[in-house]
Amino acid sequence: MERRWNMITNEWVLVSAYTQSRPTNPVNTCPLCPGGDEFSDIYDLASFDNKFPSMKLSAPDVEPLSEIFKKEKSNGQCEVVVYTIEHDSAMSLMPVHQIEKLINMWIDRYVDLSQYPSIKYVYIFENRGREVGATLPHPHGQLYAFPFFPKRIDVKISALSEYFDNNGRCGICDVVEEELRLKERIIYENESFIALVPFYARWPYEVHVYPKRHVSTIVEFENEERHLLAKTLKVVTMKYDLLFQQAFPYMMMLFQAPVNDVRYSHAFHFHIEFNPVKRDKDKIKWMASVETGTWAFINPKVPEEAAKELRNVEVVV
Amino acid sequence: MFVSSLNNQELKKITGYRKSDSSELLIQLEKIHLGYKVVIEAKGILDELEIFSFPKPARLLINNWQSWGPTRVIDENFKLDFPSELIHKFGFSASIMPDIYFERLISDYFICSDNFVIGALESRFGHPYFEIHENSIVVKLKYFGKILDDWTKLESFVILFTNPDIGLPHYADLIAKENKVVYKRKNLIGWSSWYQYFLDFDYDKLCSNLSFSKDYNYDVFQIDDAWEKDIGDWEVNNKFESLEIISTKIREYGYTPGIWLAPFSVAETSRLYNQHPDWVVKDCDGNPVVAYENWNKKIYALDTTNPDVAEWLSKLFYQLKKLGFDYFKIDFLFAGAIQGERYKDVTPIEAYRMGMSIIRHAVGESFILGCGAPLLPSVGYVDGMRISADTAPHWDPNEPDIGYPNAYYALRNVLTRAFMNNVLWWNDPDCLMLRKEDTQLNDCHRELYAYVSLLLDNMIVQSDNLSFEIDKKLWDFILEYRKFGKRFFKVEGILDGEYKITSCAINGCDKLIIKDLKQAKFDVFFDEKGVGLVKNVEKREDGRMFNYYTESKINLEGEEK
Repeated sequence: MERRWNMITNEWVLVSAYTQSRPTNPVNTCPLCPGGDEFSDIYDLASFDNKFPSMKLSAPDVEPLSEIFKKEKSNGQCEVVVYTIEHDSAMSLMPVHQIEKLINMWIDRYVDLSQYPSIKYVYIFENRGREVGATLPHPHGQLYAFPFFPKRIDVKISALSEYFDNNGRCGICDVVEEELRLKERIIYENESFIALVPFYARWPYEVHVYPKRHVSTIVEFENEERHLLAKTLKVVTMKYDLLFQQAFPYMMMLFQAPVNDVRYSHAFHFHIEFNPVKRDKDKIKWMASVETGTWAFINPKVPEEAAKELRNVEVVV
Repeated sequence: MFVSSLNNQELKKITGYRKSDSSELLIQLEKIHLGYKVVIEAKGILDELEIFSFPKPARLLINNWQSWGPTRVIDENFKLDFPSELIHKFGFSASIMPDIYFERLISDYFICSDNFVIGALESRFGHPYFEIHENSIVVKLKYFGKILDDWTKLESFVILFTNPDIGLPHYADLIAKENKVVYKRKNLIGWSSWYQYFLDFDYDKLCSNLSFSKDYNYDVFQIDDAWEKDIGDWEVNNKFESLEIISTKIREYGYTPGIWLAPFSVAETSRLYNQHPDWVVKDCDGNPVVAYENWNKKIYALDTTNPDVAEWLSKLFYQLKKLGFDYFKIDFLFAGAIQGERYKDVTPIEAYRMGMSIIRHAVGESFILGCGAPLLPSVGYVDGMRISADTAPHWDPNEPDIGYPNAYYALRNVLTRAFMNNVLWWNDPDCLMLRKEDTQLNDCHRELYAYVSLLLDNMIVQSDNLSFEIDKKLWDFILEYRKFGKRFFKVEGILDGEYKITSCAINGCDKLIIKDLKQAKFDVFFDEKGVGLVKNVEKREDGRMFNYYTESKINLEGEEK
């Protein structure tokens, strides 16, 4: 287990033989259900160290090979975050109250991991569906606590800091203001959050959730906002499932300001990205050569049209 | 080099090569988020370097060099009101440069106004400060005659174009990263003898308080000034049993034994001074320099660059640790950084850091709480830091603002220096006094002090005779609140003096609005509407940690709803 420096792109690559051992969609028993591999008893929500991690707080020291082939230890943390005991549930099916508890669990994990000086970034995410590589159907997400800024995080921090330096304001605060004025891409709104297909969507039905007021980390939400965020997540995932009347595969990612570093709290605006891979009921938008090789995305769906479709999906929460 | 305003174009004027009779200087600007980093290299004989000056705005936040000194807002009419009879007594406590401090208005390490924060990122061998004139502010570095044979990087400054509410936390983070700061991550709760007993403390009183301490859940139980024979003679006096018995007694109650001492201070009456008069910092005539006066005595400063002193200092702390102490409150630290002649030709700052390095090395992983300490040179050596004047069992905004014991001024600094907490070290807001007798503090004072300390996630140290009537409800609230863990907080309104603290954790976001600090008028709002979670942690045989969460609405009384 180690991380290697790619000097061509200035980014770290995690190398871990452990992850190769992870299961591929076990058929008979779910390891996350009581009586499965991980839990002998009933529980409500849980978070635990991944059995197949790419980083560990106690990762072994590594020696660099040479000046050009730099290596460092992967002293981070990989956790599995189990949303509920209900195997057949999903965020779209869970009560808002359960999602609210999940949000508080995310907060606790974020705070807990931020106490390790080596941790620089806590990244919470969910892969839902085989189409995005989820190996277990039981409702769960993951959490990676990185000892470095991953490339795209670094890009976001730089872009939002640069915007703040040039304009004296938070970039996403300005986006929120503009989206609220235009109302064209918003698919759901409550007192504290908007969910929208962003102007700059890379995926066909990409949705971002932005808090209306400036908040840089999930910890900074008041309890009422935590409830409204739960409601927003429920609405977005319900709309997804109802769009094509099927369990909608997505990657859900929480982006927050770095931990152990308060320099960006005024510039970095907490947000959640849903990156769904479907471009139609039976069609997948693949992350192919152009997207992977150049990071240039070709979105086959006009964001305003996707927003209209999602907005028109009626849900009752 | 005067710049007519702090903008990008004007600041470029300060860059480049400069030469004086005795030194050469190279100044560069590096663009950073929110502003610039001023990188300075020099060689030659360095004394007082002027980096640049700029127009003085109407109001400023200025800072004093050490723990007790004020960090306060001043306006154009401000005049230093320091009682003349105390100047001699304070000595270097008021400033590393008392000759300048009482003549000119200065701010040490950083200075702020409505739209800028300028601060030094370190103090390794120089002393960064700002001289405030009628119409201008001069950014300076003091090197006390340091000779640099080769080009050497000096202390850097940052210029941040933002208000202090945003800029100060950002500045602290830059200091932490520049100094690669490491400190213990456990935020302690403790008891100290000082604000109840002062010098009237003994072994029986220690035992009495331990016997009453059962429900207080302290991590640390610390004996303060009172146990030693003299300042410099760090042996128990006849009021106490041996240090080993003291530490064992404290450990019997499950607490970490803590001890106070002033390691760089030597009383004129001490055996240490009389046996080793050559161990103290001297003036150019060979006379000992008075660092300050206290305990009705002249106090000299140990020359930490003397190898014999270094060995003595190391043995002292090594021995204290061996005797069972694991928490060291080291006080009057500024004495280690006074100006004068030393064994080695180093600056006062270098000498101070040599002393701190010896102590840190001797105590290893033990907790060090700095007090009366030069702030910036201490970064990286301490786990906790007193960031205010001594508190006191009284609250008096009418006393002079000079770092004398006063709960009002202590709490003002707790607010204005809040940005340092859990970035450079744990801020010690000084002790909470929750007794309802033998005090002039009222309920409002007690509650406000406790709420500020809690919401800012500071250290919590109580100093009461536990046999007295204590505001136990408030203490239970403190213990219950601390169970929520690490807090993410911000302070707004520092320049206006109407402070708003927002403090978030798993329990939600709490708010404290201080409308009038002088009158202790405040409103506190606890965010109690949320879904509470209780966590149980299990370590599996394979070493993996499992965190189980179940719903449980906990109120701040500690009862399940």
